[in-house]
Amino acid sequence: MPFVKRDTAIPSAAALSADEFAAHIAALGSRDPEARWRGARALAGRAEAVAPLAVALGVEANSRVREAIITALMRIGNAASVVALVPYLRSQDAGQRAAAIEALQALPREISPFLTALLADGDSDVRILATELARNLPAAEATRLLCGLLSVEAHPNVCAAAIDVLAEVGTDDAIPVLEQCGRRFASTPFLPFAAAKAIALISGEG
Amino acid sequence: MALPGTQGPRAVQVTREEVERFCDFLYRRTGMSFTEGKRYYIDRRLAERIAATGSTSFQSYFAILRSDAHDEIERVVNAFTVNETYFYREDHQLRCMTSNLLDEVIRGKRTGEPIRIWSIPCSTGEEPYSIAMWLMENWKQVDQYDIEIVGSDIDTRALDTATNGVYGDRSLMRLSRDLIDRYFAPAPPDGHRIDAGLRNSIRFTRANLIEVKDMAHYRDFDIVFCRNVLIYFDDSSRRIAAENLYDCLRPGGYICLGHSETMSRISPLFQVCRFSDAIVYQRPEVDHGQL
Amino acid sequence: MANSEQASYSPGPRRILIVDDSSLVRLYYRETLEKAGFATDQAINGIEAMEKVLAQPFDLVIVDVNMPRMDGFSFLRTLRRAAPEVATLPALMITTEAAEQGVGEARAGGANFYLVKPVSEADLLRHAAILTGAPP
Repeated sequence: MPFVKRDTAIPSAAALSADEFAAHIAALGSRDPEARWRGARALAGRAEAVAPLAVALGVEANSRVREAIITALMRIGNAASVVALVPYLRSQDAGQRAAAIEALQALPREISPFLTALLADGDSDVRILATELARNLPAAEATRLLCGLLSVEAHPNVCAAAIDVLAEVGTDDAIPVLEQCGRRFASTPFLPFAAAKAIALISGEG
Repeated sequence: MALPGTQGPRAVQVTREEVERFCDFLYRRTGMSFTEGKRYYIDRRLAERIAATGSTSFQSYFAILRSDAHDEIERVVNAFTVNETYFYREDHQLRCMTSNLLDEVIRGKRTGEPIRIWSIPCSTGEEPYSIAMWLMENWKQVDQYDIEIVGSDIDTRALDTATNGVYGDRSLMRLSRDLIDRYFAPAPPDGHRIDAGLRNSIRFTRANLIEVKDMAHYRDFDIVFCRNVLIYFDDSSRRIAAENLYDCLRPGGYICLGHSETMSRISPLFQVCRFSDAIVYQRPEVDHGQL
Repeated sequence: MANSEQASYSPGPRRILIVDDSSLVRLYYRETLEKAGFATDQAINGIEAMEKVLAQPFDLVIVDVNMPRMDGFSFLRTLRRAAPEVATLPALMITTEAAEQGVGEARAGGANFYLVKPVSEADLLRHAAILTGAPP
């Protein structure tokens, strides 16, 4: 039989000493991407590492390492990690933006206090990303925030993004605002269709 | 359009768009993805969940699902993955292994370097034993290489069953009489025990996919079978598991997921590889710094 | 009726893969295209799109630039590196950038054309027809 079984004992997992912690932080700044990868991974969930992880995220050029840093911050998942991640919604780098969005989507409670401001951001791309972040909020809160946006939003693509989220999470309260939005953009492509579909889904008429 | 198979005085009407909304949500939350061909299957499972939750409309059901009341998401995932394990489950991936993957794997092997295959989670052992049996039955070069098969799970009772190697009829249902005679001996009253040779050649270990430190001891695997478990994890746990699996693979090594799972929601670290029998994922041979 | 300069004859409707993370956008494109006789399939992001492209033949892929996970440009790069039969699949990029940079990136990324969203039904149909070689 060609099957080989190796008996290697697995040592039990040790706690992270102060030295080890310092070594992982230092590894975040290594020139070797493999070392940075290992460092980021070892720091996942460690709240004391938020600041150095945030700094590392800002300069990381290797996309695999960047993913590991994002995971580490997601795993910490506290207000500080959200504060570290939010600036990347503005990044010119699509990969950084996508990674930040994914991480923040997993932290609905922590991102909630930031959303009103993000939904009113001067940059339409940031507003679009912010609507996505409302998706995992409780229905009533998401509806309130997105209707607030829709009633004043002038950029069609931001409206489209908000309508898409409302189609999934919107309550009946969203219907009048959606109708109004459909009327306001009656001569813009797609928006009347989207508003009508969202209303149909919310009211259960498919 | 009414759904088939629903019990009760009135079947809940679900439109095509609502089914899509359900699928989109499930995909975002769990990574499960279905082709058009699975439409009937989805319709039926959705109808079952609507009925099971006592929902009178898709809307009210969807609200339950979104809020994950009474662990509805886990119940849905359970409903969509056939939870029982048995020998030669999803054998198209085993076929892909012997028809395609191993050719690539041996290309990079030096003399004497073993082929390493990992089944995680291995549950009660059907999967790693199936891998071993399949290789012996279907791979012409099986005797030319040392093959290390490891089966790992977080559940130690399942591992005990695996090392014990006794299985009932349901587990063996996809095996021919011939295979059973060849690899098993009757274990009264109503079981079969897999041969000592196979039992002793698989290394069973306890490991937690999400524990970086656990997983640090597993390296240089050529093929990993990680089926129908990542869908149960939350977003950050899925990512950690994917990063762990990346490290456990050799560069160029392959991962096989469950039949309705896609890497798209799990991690961008792997490349898609389409073979005639299966879609599998590959750790890049070289890290160019861009995914 | 068929264009005599078509390189290949495919029986049945032209197949278009729609790649966008918004289900409403996908629905909008699908309804528009199917009314005009195209067959469609959908993917929610670039990775799923790659899996579908590798599994079945398509005549055109419509892909949104701004998707999480694997954005439209990454998808095109990966597509063009893939096997020859899919490396030449025509692509219509849907972008939010009307600026020169957006066009330049779309062209460099291997897209055959781009449109700025929100996309009108007329524009969508006209480009789908041109890029799949179907009669207008």
